[in-house]
Amino acid sequence: MNRVFTVAQMEFLQLVRTKAFLIGILMMPVLMALAIGFQVYAARHTDTEVRTFAVIDHSGTVYDALAAAAAAHNTGKGEGEAQTGPHFVPSRVDAVGGSLDTVKLDLSDRVRSDDLFAFIEIPAGIIDGSGDAGAIRYYTGTPSYEPLPDWIRDVANREIARQRFTNSGIDPALVTKLNARVPVSSYGLVDRQLDGSVGEARETDAIATFVMPFVFLFLMFMSVMTGAQHLLNAIVEEKMSKISEVLVGSIEPFKLLMGKLLGVTAVSFLLASIYFAGGIFAIVQSGRFDLLRLDLFAWFFLFLLCAVLMYGSIFLALGSACSDLKDAQSMMQPAILLIMLPYLASFAVIRAPDSSLATGLSLVPTVTPFIMMMRLAMPPGPPLWQVLLSVGIVLVTTTFLVWAAGRIFRVGILMQGKAPNLPEVLRWIRA
Amino acid sequence: MSAISLDRVTKRFGTHVAVNDLSLEVPEGSIYGFIGPNGSGKTTTIRMIMHILLPDSGRIRVLGRDDTRAARDDIGFLPEERGLYKKMQVRQLLRYYGMLKGRDRKTLDPVIDEWLARLGLAVWADKKIDTLSKGMAQKVQFISSIVTRPRLVILDEPFSGLDPVNAQSLKDAVLELRRQGVTVVFSTHDMSTAERLCDRIFMIYRGNKVLDGTLEEVQSRYGHDTVRVRVPGGAAALARFSGIDSINDFGNYQDLRLSGDPQQLLQELVRAGDVQHFEVTKPSLHDIFVRIANPAAEEAAEQAEVSA
Repeated sequence: MNRVFTVAQMEFLQLVRTKAFLIGILMMPVLMALAIGFQVYAARHTDTEVRTFAVIDHSGTVYDALAAAAAAHNTGKGEGEAQTGPHFVPSRVDAVGGSLDTVKLDLSDRVRSDDLFAFIEIPAGIIDGSGDAGAIRYYTGTPSYEPLPDWIRDVANREIARQRFTNSGIDPALVTKLNARVPVSSYGLVDRQLDGSVGEARETDAIATFVMPFVFLFLMFMSVMTGAQHLLNAIVEEKMSKISEVLVGSIEPFKLLMGKLLGVTAVSFLLASIYFAGGIFAIVQSGRFDLLRLDLFAWFFLFLLCAVLMYGSIFLALGSACSDLKDAQSMMQPAILLIMLPYLASFAVIRAPDSSLATGLSLVPTVTPFIMMMRLAMPPGPPLWQVLLSVGIVLVTTTFLVWAAGRIFRVGILMQGKAPNLPEVLRWIRA
Repeated sequence: MSAISLDRVTKRFGTHVAVNDLSLEVPEGSIYGFIGPNGSGKTTTIRMIMHILLPDSGRIRVLGRDDTRAARDDIGFLPEERGLYKKMQVRQLLRYYGMLKGRDRKTLDPVIDEWLARLGLAVWADKKIDTLSKGMAQKVQFISSIVTRPRLVILDEPFSGLDPVNAQSLKDAVLELRRQGVTVVFSTHDMSTAERLCDRIFMIYRGNKVLDGTLEEVQSRYGHDTVRVRVPGGAAALARFSGIDSINDFGNYQDLRLSGDPQQLLQELVRAGDVQHFEVTKPSLHDIFVRIANPAAEEAAEQAEVSA
């Protein structure tokens, strides 16, 4: 047993001392902040163009409202450096001169030569519904650009409705007042307090319901990947530089495997603890003590243990079957896919944590640690029997995978040359 | 007592027989040389002794134990290809390898210091492996196999790729180990090293034992049919004489294998002209090795295998 710890200690120190680990710890929050910051910036600043569009207004009554609304819109988006959105500039075109087709052809050519961005055609009977009442037609060379047609739809509809009400003798201001929308605010459930009174329900917030599950999910991902990836690289390096032979000449392959798994498990726990410490600090600073749930931490570390052992075994077995990093890279792809599955599923799970999809996924052992953790972090949380069942399944799977990896490891670690195919690997397990 | 005892050991990989019905006794305190062409079964034999591979049949006893795993902590092992962690410091690495064999730091450190000093590496103790030259790394690897003060040391190709100075210091180290009563088994492709260093020599070829014994025993088995000569004109001038089976040309002199009488050849040479050197010698290990493992023999062996 001592030698298992010798290996574990060495593996732990090797991983923790790498620059990658330190940079990973420090850079991760920085990178995440940068990513979020960039998205916010991009959302506001990507589209600061001036979108000029021509309006053929057959009805003759809508254009003025469009022009006024555009002016207001442009003022709202600011000017120069402070501009946060596109400016819309309509211009009126009369189809009186030539035929309508010639005018549209002429406008299309102007769009092609970038003189205009788009043009629209408003039918004559749009207000009273007579004649060709149909749709406002929007012509553009860039159909993927939606802000302009969306804006036109909103503004035109508001104006058309206003005119229709006015024409019917109804005060539009009254309509606006009567149509005012009522918000729905979301609350948690009501409890009976210790003193017998009925407590007040807390308003739900995005941090507790959406941020927390994802925080746990990402932390799990990061902790697992740091360890698993290191194991794969380390084992391939040991094979390539023929260290493995020295090692298995001194210690049983299975003990070696256990030592390595133990080492990276410790690293994963350390990594997660560092982030939790940061998280708890943030919670204490912001006074949001309701977010501090010790039961979640306990579940997290249980699932983290299983996840590291499962993925660690898989990556170790893969690594021991490869002779060089190129082999390893191609062998890794299916394993990466396996680890991506919970990530891809997470968005569906967070929308409906009690759906049969979410329940089913959280019982698939390689997915459980991630998805079950998410569900646990989301109110109301999964039923206890599901949690216990998933823990059982994960423990059994983990034990099996560690065992199977030990069998593959024993043979693979001394193999040189061609990477084995799946049937060969299965033979190693049974042998 | 034998340090290593193999009793009719066979190991197959699929249909390929890597080691066939091999029996071998390595006496304690001796230096035993394993020779044989690449792929003939040396490494497989060594791996079975190390309990890295298990034999399909036969029995292996190491240091008097049937469970060779238990013996492993008393064996130092230097595998054929060098295995060192590039990013580790020399002392750390030596400690780690020693601790994997169940020793603690306190017993390891004096041995590490002693051997680092002996091999001129003391100032490198706290340097990383990847700053060492190839020769130094190989010496570190050698030390890693003996930090546990083993009773048996197995060295797979310990001298390959070393310059003469480093090779000599490792050979001295091997002799020092024998003085301390350690049994040393090493494999090598360098026949002159094997001749000079080994008490006994074992050759494996295509999985079968073809030689086993002291150098004298091996040489006497291959007879006194070798003559070393030096004549004007060299190998070309010798071609016309009869009774010469083969010529091993070293440039300045030639080793001849004779089917006829050496004295008769000497007379013929003297008649033909100036003889600068004529010596009836024992066949060198090199000659014996080549005689066993030359391409013609390989073909014959293949035929024998087919007909068998």
